[in-house]
Amino acid sequence: MGCLFGVFALTVAACGSDDKDSSGGGGGGATVSGDTLTIYSSLPLQGTSKEQSEAVIAGEKLALKQAGGKAGKFKIKYVSLDDSTAQNPGTADEGQTAQNARKTVQDKSTIFYLGEFNSGGTKVSLPILNKAGIPQISPSNTAVGLTTDEAGADPGEPTKYYPAKTRTYARVVPKDTIQGAAIATTMKEDGCKSVHLFNDKTTYGAGLARNIEAAAKSQGIKVEGNDGTDKNAPNYRSQASAIKADCFVGSGVTGENYVQVFKDVGAAQPDIKLYGPDGVAEEAFTNPKKGGIPANLAPRTKITVATLGLEEFKKRGNAKAEKFFTDYEKAYGQKQPDPYAIYGYETMALALDSLKAVGDKANDRAAVVKQLVGNTKGRSSVLGTYDIDENGDTTLTDYGLYTIQDGLPSFEKVIKAQPAN
Amino acid sequence: MESATASAGPAPRKGFLTWDFISKYGLIALLVAFPAYYAITDLLAGDGLTRIAENLVAGVSNGSIWALVAIGYTLVYGIIELINFAHGDVFMIGSFVAFGLYGTFGLTLATGTLGLAVGLLAILLICMLTTGVLNVMIERVAYRPLRGAPKLAPLITAVGMSFILQNVGILWVGGSQKGIPDLIDAQKQLIDIAGVTISRADVLAVAVTIPLVFLLTAFINGSRLGKAMRATAQDPEAARLMGINVDTTISLTFLLGGLLAGAAGLIYALYQTQIWFFQGFTAGLIAFTAAVMGGIGNLRGAVLGGIIIGCIQQISDNRIGNEWTPAVVFSYLVLIMVFRPGGLIGEETREAG
Repeated sequence: MGCLFGVFALTVAACGSDDKDSSGGGGGGATVSGDTLTIYSSLPLQGTSKEQSEAVIAGEKLALKQAGGKAGKFKIKYVSLDDSTAQNPGTADEGQTAQNARKTVQDKSTIFYLGEFNSGGTKVSLPILNKAGIPQISPSNTAVGLTTDEAGADPGEPTKYYPAKTRTYARVVPKDTIQGAAIATTMKEDGCKSVHLFNDKTTYGAGLARNIEAAAKSQGIKVEGNDGTDKNAPNYRSQASAIKADCFVGSGVTGENYVQVFKDVGAAQPDIKLYGPDGVAEEAFTNPKKGGIPANLAPRTKITVATLGLEEFKKRGNAKAEKFFTDYEKAYGQKQPDPYAIYGYETMALALDSLKAVGDKANDRAAVVKQLVGNTKGRSSVLGTYDIDENGDTTLTDYGLYTIQDGLPSFEKVIKAQPAN
Repeated sequence: MESATASAGPAPRKGFLTWDFISKYGLIALLVAFPAYYAITDLLAGDGLTRIAENLVAGVSNGSIWALVAIGYTLVYGIIELINFAHGDVFMIGSFVAFGLYGTFGLTLATGTLGLAVGLLAILLICMLTTGVLNVMIERVAYRPLRGAPKLAPLITAVGMSFILQNVGILWVGGSQKGIPDLIDAQKQLIDIAGVTISRADVLAVAVTIPLVFLLTAFINGSRLGKAMRATAQDPEAARLMGINVDTTISLTFLLGGLLAGAAGLIYALYQTQIWFFQGFTAGLIAFTAAVMGGIGNLRGAVLGGIIIGCIQQISDNRIGNEWTPAVVFSYLVLIMVFRPGGLIGEETREAG
């Protein structure tokens, strides 16, 4: 009940502070004085996404260390921020995310902002950072509306996120038109005739569900329903018992009560095939000992993530990826890192390479933005070779299909999918 | 009031009669209409009544948990006219204690039936005792010193206690929902009656709730302490003059409310197989709504309100969608309050007379 007062206080705080921020950037960016540039990272460091965020940070730190803590002649200072709160862990808290973005804007030495992990968080930080001309890269955002108005976007997206009318945002994972198609392709291969979707009503979950719906229909799979779920609901049994499909997709994140959603759907529909997106590709979902779904659901569950397994990188002869896995193991002792570690690494590597590419102008935010969004072409990276297009999207399209083995997401194969028209 | 109505002429009288008719029968029709509509739809579709019956079974079992929490709200409001916002969080602590005791008693998925039954019975008693004592302590520390203060003061301390308990929950288990072992295989079918499946969780919820409600009713109606509670609820000053220790009686009320919240906490943990620091807020809101819907201060009203809300929730979840359920439940509450401000059975408070 006390939370009512908390919400009221947050609302007052938000209302009181959104009129003018102290960016001073006005969209044109600014030049950082001195020889130290700061790169901020903003990720949920509490709750269900903690381990994924820690993997991203480990990857980012490794890339920075390998670059000698420098980009050209400039020293790099790395600051990690938490965009979640104790009351709202596992996902970006909107109030905390706005605070992080403002803190970054107020710091005159800021040159990059790496985050958020959740698309719903980026929805909050992007307009603040864009107004100040600060370049931003997300290691994990997939919501379509952050960069384009294609299927899956809400009305007014993405224009409302770019008040400066220039693109300052890029991401290293494919957007959800690709993931939607990847899930639909997997279902088709598994013989699904009909599908029922639940979505968590977040920017990510609801948008992805629309993409899956479109992709499923285009592949001839009947969509029986796409229902929103309430995070605060004690259970979803009645909703689950109403499902009349042979396949189910839970389009949401673990932190939005998606363990309970899968648990209830799995129990109410003993024969249904279960599919989850990257939002549940974490131990908090896959491992029953960590509060994840029961072990008996594991064989029926498949998950899509935009990263591929080590073996796949080896098969493709991607030496950079192989080196990453070797270096990561040396640095952290983990042979099979969390799927997001490589994205953290690439996020930082892309930021540092963008700074190096502009040479002495690495302290000029506008020059860095232009390099990141306009000139990242044919980039050879740990993820493969890709461009960042004019919207800030990667041209990579491969998705990985994961199953659950011993409580962990385990890479099974690559899904080649193209978005529905 | 009646003479004023009479002197105002026939038109208002007719209006009052119509209003009286609607408030008496219209609401019952409205409550029945919701399941009846879907029952008819199912019949017309040739699906029989199995689905609506399953909705109602799930509603009764879910509603039983809300009823146990609602009784705590109604008891306290009935006796000191305080909305104890912390009560939902006491219930949450009950679930957390239950989960903690799973480990202490070594209860796992592999534990046998007898071990499980004995262990859970012991956990039930400990949970009830813990939350009962906690509720008494909250009353002693946060409400009793404010007995003569303006009504807003204890209301604010209740909100404060709610915050404190929620933060204890966050420190204890963390801020995310935590899946816990499904010790009783909650959703396993136990009985099948004409195609209507009744799960273990359904039976557990009702089997624990019914005896507890009967015991409480018998205690309040039949014991000396129960009489003291009723006397204090009616007129604390008169009760004091008659030699009743009002402070002790109020503490007893909090103890009883806490005991039931502890039981509800364990059932919730077994039923939902997950716990969360915020579960008390949600459950508290639903249970308080149930208490108001049934008639605040009225035990039977709290139970009825809990079960009605449970049924509305399950039908709405199953037919309309879980995301719309809060809107459906609170639409019902608004209608009931507009047509029957005292709740379905009628409030039993000093204000109501």
